[in-house]
Amino acid sequence: MVTKTFKGGTHPPERKERSASTPIQTLRNVSQVVIPVNQHFGAPIQPLVKVGDQVKRGQKIADADGRMTVPLHASVYGTVKKIEPRMQANNLEGLAIVIEPLPGDEAVFMPTLDPFSCTKEEALARVREAGIIGVGGAGFPAHVKFAPPPNKPIEYVIANAAECEPYLTIDERVMEEHPEDFIDGIAIVMKIVGATKGIVGLEDNKTHLVPGLEKAIAAKRSGMDIRVQLLRTKYPQGGEKMLITAITGREVPSGGLPMDVGCVVSNVNTLLAVSEAFRKGQPVIDTGLTVTGGACETPKNLFVPVGMLVQDLFPDVARYDEKKLKRIVMGGPMMGPAVPSMLVPIQKNTSGVLLMDETEAKAYGEGPCIRCGRCMRACSCRLSPALLNVALKAGDLDEADKIGVMDCIECGTCSFVCPSHIQLVQRFRVGKQLVRAKKQKEAQRAGK
Amino acid sequence: MPANNMLLSSSPHVYTGVTPRKLMLSVIIALSPVSVYGVVLYGVHALLVIVVSIATAVLSEAAFRAVTKQDVRIGDLSAVVTGLLVALISPPSVPLWMVALGSFAAIVLAKEFFGGLGANPFNPALIGRAILLMSFPAAMTTWHVPFKGLLDATTGATPLNVVKMGGTIADVGAGFVQNSLSSVPDYSSTLWTLFVGNRAGCIGESSILLILVGFIFLLALRVVSFITPLAMVGTAFLASWLLGMDPVFGILSGGLLFGAVFMATDYSSSPVTPLGKAIFGAGAGLITVIIRRFGGYPEGVTYAILIMNAVAPFMDKLRVKKYGFVPPAKPVAKEAAK
Repeated sequence: MVTKTFKGGTHPPERKERSASTPIQTLRNVSQVVIPVNQHFGAPIQPLVKVGDQVKRGQKIADADGRMTVPLHASVYGTVKKIEPRMQANNLEGLAIVIEPLPGDEAVFMPTLDPFSCTKEEALARVREAGIIGVGGAGFPAHVKFAPPPNKPIEYVIANAAECEPYLTIDERVMEEHPEDFIDGIAIVMKIVGATKGIVGLEDNKTHLVPGLEKAIAAKRSGMDIRVQLLRTKYPQGGEKMLITAITGREVPSGGLPMDVGCVVSNVNTLLAVSEAFRKGQPVIDTGLTVTGGACETPKNLFVPVGMLVQDLFPDVARYDEKKLKRIVMGGPMMGPAVPSMLVPIQKNTSGVLLMDETEAKAYGEGPCIRCGRCMRACSCRLSPALLNVALKAGDLDEADKIGVMDCIECGTCSFVCPSHIQLVQRFRVGKQLVRAKKQKEAQRAGK
Repeated sequence: MPANNMLLSSSPHVYTGVTPRKLMLSVIIALSPVSVYGVVLYGVHALLVIVVSIATAVLSEAAFRAVTKQDVRIGDLSAVVTGLLVALISPPSVPLWMVALGSFAAIVLAKEFFGGLGANPFNPALIGRAILLMSFPAAMTTWHVPFKGLLDATTGATPLNVVKMGGTIADVGAGFVQNSLSSVPDYSSTLWTLFVGNRAGCIGESSILLILVGFIFLLALRVVSFITPLAMVGTAFLASWLLGMDPVFGILSGGLLFGAVFMATDYSSSPVTPLGKAIFGAGAGLITVIIRRFGGYPEGVTYAILIMNAVAPFMDKLRVKKYGFVPPAKPVAKEAAK
């Protein structure tokens, strides 16, 4: 099998071995859940429950009208204790519904639905009602992604199984333990968007999954063109754009979306959620994640109720060394935000909790740019980080825009490779906001 | 529960571990074969030149930064590299005070005045050499035959000097045989002697073989890009050939390869984009040959690279096309796209 890849990128130490062979453990018993209301990218939604209400597992507890909205469901059977702003995994406060579990497990799921005999509208409605968002990154509503306009025909459904972030192994475990549900998810999305090809984009550090996946393809969907494509193990191979380019050779145009080049890309856990939404009628109430890091003594792969607090994982589920713990990261070490405490909830799109020790979580001051050009070679979007840095430091937003700051996918490769530890991607994140604000202002002025 | 003392920072949270210090150290390692060979060729004085040059560079950087109340950062080893380079492009008989002056000028005038590491528009070592060459032309163009000590009686011309004075490559070969640097004066053994570097010249520039060893080391560690040296040497080859000079001789003699590998690849004074590097290298190669052919000096690498340094900032505009680049739509095309 040919191994494909994209130009640029880097290879951080993988450190997956500590959790890669640990089977997924499903947690049901938690002391409370704090479910942030707005976990998706789009318009805000409102709570449908009041303090004191009893909710069943799987019951819808927040929703709103509008295309860019996704409903939210209770992840446990219990009583609504509070509805108040709480710290979220992205370090911002947002409205959250706090539920205290009651004994027993009363669940209310949707009826099952056969994705291959229902209409497209029914299928999309089911995806929305199940509260499915892209769990790989920003939390884009899946029902919007699966409904491109008619002038954008979709050829490929790509399962993003690269899992290029170091440490994380939850996708790997899901594909190992639930290959048939995962493949089923791909087939369902192919049916919804009318794609002819389904491709599992897998990094070649996980070749041991290929026989299992091919068996699942043969067993479940032998009639459909679904296959596994090996990709070189390289960060950010699982970036949506990089994945599309590696597999199809196409480039998503600047400012465009994957559908512009006939692709829909979905994460492993998103596809699993799609399968469960149809086959079991189960909405997104569980999150798959890896708990690991140098300060974590018992690395685990887990399915936990959405909204479980990180602190409730310890010490019953996993243990850590308090003396060693220096940094807590929600997600992978390349893109995940660091959080100040363990009082943050695990959300739908949380893929990991890293407890990093001193040797892993070093902090550096910025040195001068020596113009070594490492960032230029490594940038996955072929931007010029060194030059962008100069433009942004000088406050030249027009130049930054021209170089392509808005095309930055914030993968962090530039900062990772920079010998002087210059805060490149960090500055670009701010730069993108400044450029966006400036453009809005200009548009307003032009409108008047 | 650990609620405080957690490190908070924006992602990424991991780094390669490569630092400017490690990059500079690899350049020093790459320069060590030619440095050792220079000492082998010219003896203790060459070693003293190297030591004094490095010491002056490090001390003047530390002193300047201390006096101007900036953090002293000799730990990054960039001053060591500059000092070593100044020594390696000096003639072996250069007085110690002179090379110290050159080293001081390189660090203070060419580097620190412009903001220090990463901010110098011109190659510091070459500025140091250019200043010495203009101030002390006699001392800076006195060459000695290897292995004979640095006496007046053992001075000799560099191969490029011989050619500049109207000699031929056969004359160079005859000179080699006369000084027992080569056994036969034929073309191929003359070129072989030049390749090994057993000839009069600057302390570190002569051995093509050892420069290539250092270059391969730097390429393997991806410290430098192959683009600039390849463009510079390639253009010099082509230009020499077009101007009726022997291109192979041109590459093997003088400081072309040393300049291409260790000077034109200086991070801060050369372009960062691939196309910029190619044009930078090609320009330096072309100017070198023009100076060699038409100029008053036998060698032109120093000024060729310095001239291109001046143009380098403009070449940062020559960026590669970003991912998903869409050319600005013309009005007609825009209508069709809708």
